[in-house]
Amino acid sequence: MKNIKTLIFQSLTGLCIFSALLICLAMPGTCWAAFGEDMEKPKPEFTRQGDKIIAKLIPRGKSTRVNIEFEVLGGKLTDVKGMDFALAERPEVDVKNFNSSLFTIEIGNVSPPGGEVKVSVTSQFFTSSTKYYVFNEKLEKQQWMKPEVHNLSLPNLVRQIVIEVKDGGTFDSDGVADGKIFFVGGPRDSFWGYALGTLFIRFFGIFIVLGVLMIGMLISGKIFQSLEKNVEGTVEPPVSPAAPQTVKPVAVPAPEASSAPAATSEAEIAAAAATALALRMTAEDQSCEDEITAAIMTALHLHLFGQRNSAETDGYSQTAEAAETGKPAETELHSKPFVQGASGWVQQGRGRIMESRLQSFNRK
Amino acid sequence: MSWDQVLELIKSILITQTGIPNLVFKEVIMMCIGLFFIYLAVAKEYEPLLLVPIGFGIFIVNFPLTPLMGFSEHGNPELIRFFYKYGVEWEIIPCVIFLGLGAMTDFGPLIANPKTLIVGAGAQLGVFITYIGTLFVGFTLKEAASVGIIGGADGPTTIYLTAKLAPHLLGANALAAYSYMAMVPLIQPPIMRLMTTPEQRRIKMRQLRPVSKREKIYFPLIGSTLIILLIPAVAPLMGMFLFGNFMRECGVVKRLSDTAQNALMNTVTIFLGLSVGATMQAEVFLSWKPMLIFGFGLLDFIVCTFGGILTVHIMNLFIKEKMNPLIGSAGVSAVPMAARVTHSEGLKADPDNWLIMHAMGPNLAGVIGSASAAGMFIAMFQ
Repeated sequence: MKNIKTLIFQSLTGLCIFSALLICLAMPGTCWAAFGEDMEKPKPEFTRQGDKIIAKLIPRGKSTRVNIEFEVLGGKLTDVKGMDFALAERPEVDVKNFNSSLFTIEIGNVSPPGGEVKVSVTSQFFTSSTKYYVFNEKLEKQQWMKPEVHNLSLPNLVRQIVIEVKDGGTFDSDGVADGKIFFVGGPRDSFWGYALGTLFIRFFGIFIVLGVLMIGMLISGKIFQSLEKNVEGTVEPPVSPAAPQTVKPVAVPAPEASSAPAATSEAEIAAAAATALALRMTAEDQSCEDEITAAIMTALHLHLFGQRNSAETDGYSQTAEAAETGKPAETELHSKPFVQGASGWVQQGRGRIMESRLQSFNRK
Repeated sequence: MSWDQVLELIKSILITQTGIPNLVFKEVIMMCIGLFFIYLAVAKEYEPLLLVPIGFGIFIVNFPLTPLMGFSEHGNPELIRFFYKYGVEWEIIPCVIFLGLGAMTDFGPLIANPKTLIVGAGAQLGVFITYIGTLFVGFTLKEAASVGIIGGADGPTTIYLTAKLAPHLLGANALAAYSYMAMVPLIQPPIMRLMTTPEQRRIKMRQLRPVSKREKIYFPLIGSTLIILLIPAVAPLMGMFLFGNFMRECGVVKRLSDTAQNALMNTVTIFLGLSVGATMQAEVFLSWKPMLIFGFGLLDFIVCTFGGILTVHIMNLFIKEKMNPLIGSAGVSAVPMAARVTHSEGLKADPDNWLIMHAMGPNLAGVIGSASAAGMFIAMFQ
């Protein structure tokens, strides 16, 4: 419970700090115009294929081209052009929501004049939440309109938006029932909905990816460990031919606990540690790895024996197994005097070993 | 030739062929900025391998009339433009650097404790928070993603993603990323202390199990299979990274591994640094956006550190063997600086608490996490 309380407190403190930072950073400018040029402005190119007109463009927030197909049922699709959003910019709309430009669609041969046509706009880029907003600058109020559209799902993740437009109706910018329709509008998606939605999905996506990798590594780790155990069980441990020559001088049998005072082992520890360091400094590759390991082990072994003796003398107990393996006994973790008793050589040696291991990660 | 003609000729030479009369105030400011980064690299040793070429790139490209970053009359790229076009614009150098980094990396600590991968994922929090923050101040989606990745604290990933999504921000993003990576020892400790109690900082972690050679050899194969299957867009970065690591671990191509770690890495670092520095010309760089990028970069690092530590706290609620929350801060990549900072903070709390190898796990997980975040963004904008 205490942990959870601390965690909540820490989380809230952290959140407050970076919220404050975020607000400070957000102060200088909160509009797109602050940065001048609209670098992601879509620039559609149009081609005609029979009754269809296809717009090719790179939408906002995308790096690849998409196709948007325009088709009309009940009239003839005369032309489709791109329109600069600045001409239709009003306080009630935000350019960020119009990812794929505004289009002016010209339709002729509406029969009978004053009749209704169906405009279909098809693309793989649309989603089920894509709307189609219509603009009519000749209207005095509500120049931007949100018509009822049919958002249909087609095969291969393609979606089709169908809008009904009446000749001379509110969506017809020429305003007269003359058999011609001038229709301005564009597909609209929620910018913030997309940004926040993807943020959430992709952040947790990283957890999923790394989680899958973690599971893969845990499983493979178990398999490899069991394989290694089997190999160790059947094969004699190899003996390095160079090892005896180097280790022999220092790998003397450990003195009996009663006859090895800590003071006398200091010199041996020093000798072993010096051997390890000399080997490390002279080795140009990893050929002396075994010798270095042996020398370090000897130094640690001697040190731990010496330390056990002094600990016993001081009243601190440690098991012989812990001394042999170098694995600290449970009581050691909390016994400060024991830790402080580590000799300078050992501290130095451990520091150097860790530093040496770190070299392999050092990118400098 | 009369004296008047001689003087006119000299005047013409001075005006059209020397830089002095063409030098403008903005360029002088940029040169000072270049010199400042050179100073940081040389005197303070802040990421000198990158900041020296970047600083020098900024310095020389801002001299007037220099044929460095433009195109010749025949349309051929000039010297540094050439490096930039084929190295950065074609997205080759960041991937080659990842190859070298892979060859330099020992994944042992991560293989020994795969749980730390989750810490690396949590430390990407700042990337996404900054992404939203930058959208609020008017950055476009692609720009926001390229700024967000700064918090991943991985230079090549930042450069790779920015070159792909918002090349006009390359200089500012790269400079912010490398500057803050160098400043990790200054940025992280206060957050680490704020986010942990003294008892938590003293938590000792069990020594990592030894990792066999065989495991290390198989890791790049397993890792690349899983990651690239899930995020194909990250294949150029992770593929090269794990290929480099495979060369290192398989042990039969020592010459190739050595070249990737040293000669190749050093060569591309020079061209990368100069190219990135040279993108920072006065007319491009001296605007609001780079200033904001530096601000958001700092926020990004702070939140990433926060996210890493918070992830460890949350994990500790569920796992039996508690982890020292300090290792969470190493999840921001910045290998091995972030791990060193964790280690030194651990030593401050308890002089016998050696956290370096435990911190290397999240540190390496952070590299994979930030590359994955970059892959996610690339996929998002495809």
